[in-house]
Amino acid sequence: MKRRLSTICLALLIILAIAGPKWLGLQDGVQAPAYSKPYWLDSTVAGSFTLDARDGEEVPLSWSYAPPLRVTITGRLDEGFVRWRTPDGDFILADTPGELDLDARDIPFKRAMGISPFGNMASVLFPADGEYKLDLVGRGDVSMKVEGGRWGVLGTDHRGRDVATLFVRGIRVSLLVGITATLIATLLGMSLGLLSGYVGGLTDTLIMRFVDVLLSIPTLPILMVLAGIWGKGLWNLVFILSIFSWMGTARTVRAMTLSLRDAPWVEGLRAIGARRHYIIFRHLAPEALPLLLANVALGVPGAILAEAGLSFLGLSDPRVPSWGRALHEAHTYGAFTNGAWWTILPAGLGISMICLIFMDIGRKLEEQVDPRLSAATALTFQREGEE
Amino acid sequence: MITLLKRLLGSAAVLVVVLVLNFFLFRIMPGDPLTGIVDPRFSPEAKQQLAAQWGLDRPISEQFVVYIREMLSFRFGLSMMTGVPVWDELKNRVPNTVALLLPALVLSSALGLWLGVKAALRRGSIIERVVLLSGAISFSFPSFFVQLLLLMCFAYLWPIFPLRGTTSIPPPAGIAYLFDYIWHMALPVFSLVILGFGGFALYIRNMMVKAMGEDYVLMARARGLPYSRVVWNHAFRGILPPVLTILLLSLPGVVSGAVITETVFSLNGVGRFLLEATNSHDYPAAGAAFFLLALLTVACNLGADIMYVLVDPRVRRESSRG
Amino acid sequence: MSAFGRVGRVERVERAGRSEKITLEIQDLSITYRGGGKEVFAVKNCSFSISRGDVIGLVGESGSGKTSVLMAIPRLLPTGTLVHGRILLGGQDITKRGERAMNELRWSRVALVPQGAMNSFTPHLTIERHITEVLNFHMKMSGRDGKSRASELIGTVGLERDILTRYAHELSGGQKQRAALALALACDPDFLLADEPTTALDVITQKEVLETISGLVRERDMGLLLVTHDLPIAAGVCDTLIVMKDGSIVERGNSRQLIMAPKQAYTCELIEAIREMEGGHA
Repeated sequence: MKRRLSTICLALLIILAIAGPKWLGLQDGVQAPAYSKPYWLDSTVAGSFTLDARDGEEVPLSWSYAPPLRVTITGRLDEGFVRWRTPDGDFILADTPGELDLDARDIPFKRAMGISPFGNMASVLFPADGEYKLDLVGRGDVSMKVEGGRWGVLGTDHRGRDVATLFVRGIRVSLLVGITATLIATLLGMSLGLLSGYVGGLTDTLIMRFVDVLLSIPTLPILMVLAGIWGKGLWNLVFILSIFSWMGTARTVRAMTLSLRDAPWVEGLRAIGARRHYIIFRHLAPEALPLLLANVALGVPGAILAEAGLSFLGLSDPRVPSWGRALHEAHTYGAFTNGAWWTILPAGLGISMICLIFMDIGRKLEEQVDPRLSAATALTFQREGEE
Repeated sequence: MITLLKRLLGSAAVLVVVLVLNFFLFRIMPGDPLTGIVDPRFSPEAKQQLAAQWGLDRPISEQFVVYIREMLSFRFGLSMMTGVPVWDELKNRVPNTVALLLPALVLSSALGLWLGVKAALRRGSIIERVVLLSGAISFSFPSFFVQLLLLMCFAYLWPIFPLRGTTSIPPPAGIAYLFDYIWHMALPVFSLVILGFGGFALYIRNMMVKAMGEDYVLMARARGLPYSRVVWNHAFRGILPPVLTILLLSLPGVVSGAVITETVFSLNGVGRFLLEATNSHDYPAAGAAFFLLALLTVACNLGADIMYVLVDPRVRRESSRG
Repeated sequence: MSAFGRVGRVERVERAGRSEKITLEIQDLSITYRGGGKEVFAVKNCSFSISRGDVIGLVGESGSGKTSVLMAIPRLLPTGTLVHGRILLGGQDITKRGERAMNELRWSRVALVPQGAMNSFTPHLTIERHITEVLNFHMKMSGRDGKSRASELIGTVGLERDILTRYAHELSGGQKQRAALALALACDPDFLLADEPTTALDVITQKEVLETISGLVRERDMGLLLVTHDLPIAAGVCDTLIVMKDGSIVERGNSRQLIMAPKQAYTCELIEAIREMEGGHA
């Protein structure tokens, strides 16, 4: 397992999930206009930023973009006036003391600036490329919020939340749901498999028939119905996922137990009078453990995909930012018609990457349990009695 | 015959479990089924009347009998949203789901089969790499992600396929309707094929690599039979039973995939009906859709079982003797 | 069973050798396996020839390269195996033939009787299908003709007709080997290559199967190359023995002479081993 690319990636993801929001200064909540492009994508579009001016301050700004989407001025003016100097002329934004809450879309504000109510004030305030200045002549504290079409490393979603933040938040949900659901399912499968294989008889028949039935019912519809009935909480989801994914493990463990049950050393244990639960928990369970570890790793992608699927269908807690939820929102709120591929790719690739990582780890563990599975051994020549 | 009878019994058992599960799922939820849809400002009398309309005031055993009768007669009771029998709405949706899944299943297994066998015969070739890669993709890429990407590429950036729906609105008449339908179904089916063939091809490749190393394949070659005959009639025919098994085991997943595919492409199918019913707490409708999807799976399973018996002489011989 | 039985065969081979015979000649055959980045020599500069009517035993312990030699003749070694040397069938070098041309030659000229432990029959085909399949491909014999020839063949090897409708897993080891022999005889090949045909069978069945093989081969005047690790068996059936060790031929000669007066230390060892075993049995 040492220094394998997938383990390194997994470690990095976990670190990112825990420490990422702090280190990278990511912020939750609405940040910028909906479907802002990633910052590196289109240099003709302005980003979103705020200019703060206090008592007599001049805040410079160099501008070389198309007019912004939205301009708002908030704050307090105690004395004097607020001036907006553009290459094409100056505007007095406010000259009466008091609280300021101006939006470039407000009709009174437009009329005060001498623009028709239907005119685009943002393009009047930002008429050309060049040097701008926000002047607070007098006393007060004014900030001018300029909202453009670019934000952050990965842009924003339909509500204006930072996609990068959502991505980092999504790692936690995927890992949490994937790993806990698989662990619970594996424990469940292991106990039922051991019981079935070791006790045998009617118990075995009943459990195995039940497994057969569960395996031949499409699970997603059941999960949907259950999520719909029991509510969309994260732990509900974990619980629902785990009660419908233990069957494969139970089968594997049962088969193993059956082959081990009649092994000479187990017969020996029985002969010297070992109790049944002692044999099961002290001898059979440790024997099955490495395979189970591989099973857990290989089961995680399934759980993650199921969680993502349910979230994509809108059956997850809307307050928990998961990758599946991100794709659900992108699909529902018209990411296509806005061409906002950046709301789709990170979440989708995130899910795929985590699944690939766990598959790889699972394969590796499986190979360690059974070296015959290794590709290297498979390629050496298979036939011929004479080497 | 014994084997077939056993399988038939197994399918019946699955159906019984589905029916019972379906019944209790909707009755173990907190409160009564009406809380989800009834306005809390309704008067108790009005509520009572509604409960009577869906038979929810009867004892549970009587409800069960009514429920079973409704299910087996394919009426599925009345929808809580519209008040009309669920089947009246559902029956228009079944053909769409079948038209989505059947071609997808046939095409992806055919493609997977062909590529898997080719990959096994040419170890280390590009085909083998394609199979290994697409296998990994089909096991780790969420279907809706791939479908969203396809939709993005072929319905938005390069709009050669429709963005949503089963037909244009309004649907054209006559033969044009058929083409319109196919045009709408093409991308969903294509996406399911893209997602489905990889895992299947990978499995067939692994089985086939093993089969080509078998003694009897070497002996078939020693007999001077043409290569294609050795590959198909001896090696491939030998792995057909397990291949059918894996196909059979993948069916519930395929049906589950229908829900997601229909949601992504806004197709008017059973899966999206289930989603809509679940979201609007319309329990009879959701139960009916779930039952239909389960029935579809069980039917496919049974079909695969029968094929299995026909294909494996060992099972066939035992069953004819039994 | 004596290691020195059936000595009287020698004259017959010498007589047969004089008439015009199709000959299979192996010249300077070397085989190298490649796998896991390593190259392993299996056979080095091996030459011998066998004509129709000859019964030759190729003897050696496991790992001596005898099976490799046998499989190299119909070119059935794993892909990537390096084969040098010439294999002449009726004077023509068959190592340069294309796969299609090779297929025409396989079974119709050179047929294989596989190891007893091998799953030589395709599990999902009946014995009859196996026989009619080769008849169809090599002799263009179809339908009823094929079926009647199949039942004729199955009778020749001493099996009941109803074996034809069975699958391999429904047969006993001895029946399987007889059926394999029937299949090998289907196209009247010039040469039979038998690779340990009697391993995994009990002693009595071994003897019966071997007698059937050698009887049929002599009756039809075919060439038989019998590969075995069992010197007594080889000496009992074959006229000529070739002893291999570590991929090379160490000694060859008339069965009786070889056993009576081995020239090589290795052959002595093999014979000693048998004497000891026989002594143990007695």
